[in-house]
Amino acid sequence: MAGSIKDQVAIIGVGCTKFGDNFDQSFEDLLVEAGFAAFADARIEPERVEAAWLGTFSPYAGNGKASVSLADALRLYGKPITRVENYCATGTDAFRNAAMAVASGMYDVALVAGAEKLKDRPVRGLGWENGHPYQHDGLTAPGVFAMAANRYFHCFGAGREALAKVSVKNHHNGAMNPKAHFQMEVSEAQVLNAPIVAWPFGLFDCCPTTDGAAAAVICRADMARQFRDDYVLVKGLGLAVTSGRPWYDSANDYVGFAATRAASEQAYSMAGIRNPVAEIDLAEVHDCFTWTEISNYEDLGFCRKGEGPHFIGEGRSALSGDLPVNPSGGLKSFGHPIGASGVRMIYEVATQLRGQAGARQVRDAELGLVHNLGGPGSVACVIVLGRP
Amino acid sequence: MIGITNYSVYVPRRRMRRDMIAAAWGGPAMPGSKAVANFDEDSLTMAQSAAWPLAQSGGAEALSFASTTSPYWQRSAASLIAAACDLPAQTSTADFGGSLRAGATALRAAFDAVAAGSARTALVTAADCRDGAPESAEEMLFGDAAAALAVGRDGLCAELVASVSRSDDFPDEWRRDTDAHVRSFASKYSLARGYTENVVAVGRALFAKAGVQPEQIARVALGSSDGRAHLAAAKALGIPPARVEDVRAGDIGITGAAMPLFLLAQALDRAQPGDLILAIAYSDGTDGFLFRSLDVGRRLRQDGSAMEYPTYQIYRKLRDYWRAAAGGAEISNVLLRREETQNVRLHGSACPQCGTLQFPIAQVCRACHHRGGMIEKNLARRGRLFTFTKDFLYSGPVEPTVMAVVDLEGGGRFLCQMTDVEPAAVEIGMEVELVLRRMREGPGDHYYYWKCRPV
Repeated sequence: MAGSIKDQVAIIGVGCTKFGDNFDQSFEDLLVEAGFAAFADARIEPERVEAAWLGTFSPYAGNGKASVSLADALRLYGKPITRVENYCATGTDAFRNAAMAVASGMYDVALVAGAEKLKDRPVRGLGWENGHPYQHDGLTAPGVFAMAANRYFHCFGAGREALAKVSVKNHHNGAMNPKAHFQMEVSEAQVLNAPIVAWPFGLFDCCPTTDGAAAAVICRADMARQFRDDYVLVKGLGLAVTSGRPWYDSANDYVGFAATRAASEQAYSMAGIRNPVAEIDLAEVHDCFTWTEISNYEDLGFCRKGEGPHFIGEGRSALSGDLPVNPSGGLKSFGHPIGASGVRMIYEVATQLRGQAGARQVRDAELGLVHNLGGPGSVACVIVLGRP
Repeated sequence: MIGITNYSVYVPRRRMRRDMIAAAWGGPAMPGSKAVANFDEDSLTMAQSAAWPLAQSGGAEALSFASTTSPYWQRSAASLIAAACDLPAQTSTADFGGSLRAGATALRAAFDAVAAGSARTALVTAADCRDGAPESAEEMLFGDAAAALAVGRDGLCAELVASVSRSDDFPDEWRRDTDAHVRSFASKYSLARGYTENVVAVGRALFAKAGVQPEQIARVALGSSDGRAHLAAAKALGIPPARVEDVRAGDIGITGAAMPLFLLAQALDRAQPGDLILAIAYSDGTDGFLFRSLDVGRRLRQDGSAMEYPTYQIYRKLRDYWRAAAGGAEISNVLLRREETQNVRLHGSACPQCGTLQFPIAQVCRACHHRGGMIEKNLARRGRLFTFTKDFLYSGPVEPTVMAVVDLEGGGRFLCQMTDVEPAAVEIGMEVELVLRRMREGPGDHYYYWKCRPV
């Protein structure tokens, strides 16, 4: 029986760089900006941090490999630092490990940082790294999710028009977010007429490859008031892993992600959530591709399998809807520097719960959800955050 | 009694219209189209495709590969083909090359092996994938194809009556170790002194050896370097054109070392029980065979689907694709060897407890989590498309790259690229077959793996 760390860990500071094509910033520059922003937000000196977790997916050009990448950037020497890599759930899993360490009583104050520098590389999109040398040749990140989307369409009859609505919504939200990679509205026609990347996904169905970093300072909940009154509490969290080779599993229906279902069950159970759509006020979910967001609605229990297209179609996930999803603009508009994204979502939900999200503020936000989905839908991490 | 127990041919689906080649360069066009290996095909993969149904139905104690265009100077294509056909390690494998006659020479060696008792059954494959130099007559003439013949003692569809060989070092067509393209003296003299003289001499020797008259010959499988000379040679042997196999110059092309075996398979397919079949292959000498057909109901699989290249430029780009695409990292032979049963033989694991067949090979069952005693099993090479995508992001030679998740007949789910397909034709539920293809070009080797294509 899994234990609970509900209300034992508090977020007391968050920081985030502008996401985008940050050609003039190095991996360390990104970490410095996000890390010191989080220190400033928590009103602490870096020395106050007793342990740190770095989430980064893909080491490149000497950065992102092991814990030293964070130690050298922030000059955090002589302290325990752990690098976490868990596909696109890297950032949230780094946070999860830090939260459990603080809840254990081992550390009072810890830092979680996520960073990714993708735009230094010569490849288009996200390379399929360290896979089998030829078994999976031809697979790309959009291709992996597109295979699921096509099966979903085959089973439930929805089409690209439903996907376009997700893109329009997330671009609309992102247009109100100065840190987002893209701050521009798009029309359904634009989305539908864009060049195809991997059928059924066109250019505007895909999140971009992005540079960025985000950080959070956490502490024991009973200490949080020493730092600020509007801290944010960890209400629940869960991580679940399914096969990294879902295409070989004859039992896989290919219309959703069991990892998300299992991770959200863990997190809801800890947080005491019985009716997610009624209880959760906003959600930052993993919209790597527009269809992924539709599947997320279903896998996270916001609606039943097959009803995701209606959930978006009826505007329920819009900023004005009953469960705003991706008020930040999501991966689609905010960008997706892999290891940074989960921590960036935590940054957004904390900002919303503190009532500091400006034009994109969700009214009366008390409880927020963060969701990452990694690999070919194989690694899901769900974190529920709430006001004290 | 020894002879042929089964036969198979393989013609790649891509076609290049000869008037398009002519239009690209200016000048007269030869009629028709030629069959062209797709960018991911070569002589090795075509031979494997031809051999697979025969290996599957009858097995073989020996397997040979004959070609003038093996993808390797040094490495036995036959050994790789044998593994991809899932033949056991005791299989005797051999590669024949050096001459367009290599297929017929390999066939003769197979008969000898079976006659001598060193193998009860032997599989002979022949394939060629000759690239005619741009703007040459060969560019129009040469086509790509493969053929396979199974040789043995039992269940014959044709009995070997006699065979005759002849050696003749006559330089009419050749390719040096440094040449990319064929060189030749294409002249009346070459034809008369080389082809016709050899074919007629061996034909007559076979008649004499078997004690038969030309009128008794029902079908003639006679290779040809130009699509015409075989008719004249048959006439000189006293056999009318109606009994001579169409060399398929018009719709496939001159298929090099594959041609004699291809034509023999075609003749066997059309023969009536009791028919005498004459098969002669010329190049640097001659191998000739006389068979008597014994119908056992074998039939060639007809593959009617053909895909025309829309332009000469696309044909030329794909023809040269691998030469330019030497990227990626080398793959260690430790990994290649350990995964051979899985990646080349296409074995999966069947769970002894719940029966689930799964790929890749596993120790713990994916379905019921039982550990131990997993049974290695050959996966079916056929299935139905479960889902797919058409990917424009992947840097493949053709856009889009079609990725397929396939439910295989008899169990197991497989992920692979789809090839030989018009993207618009891809739909969930379509029937596909798995084919060995050249998957990747490393800095120092070719890597072969499975793709699927519409049946």
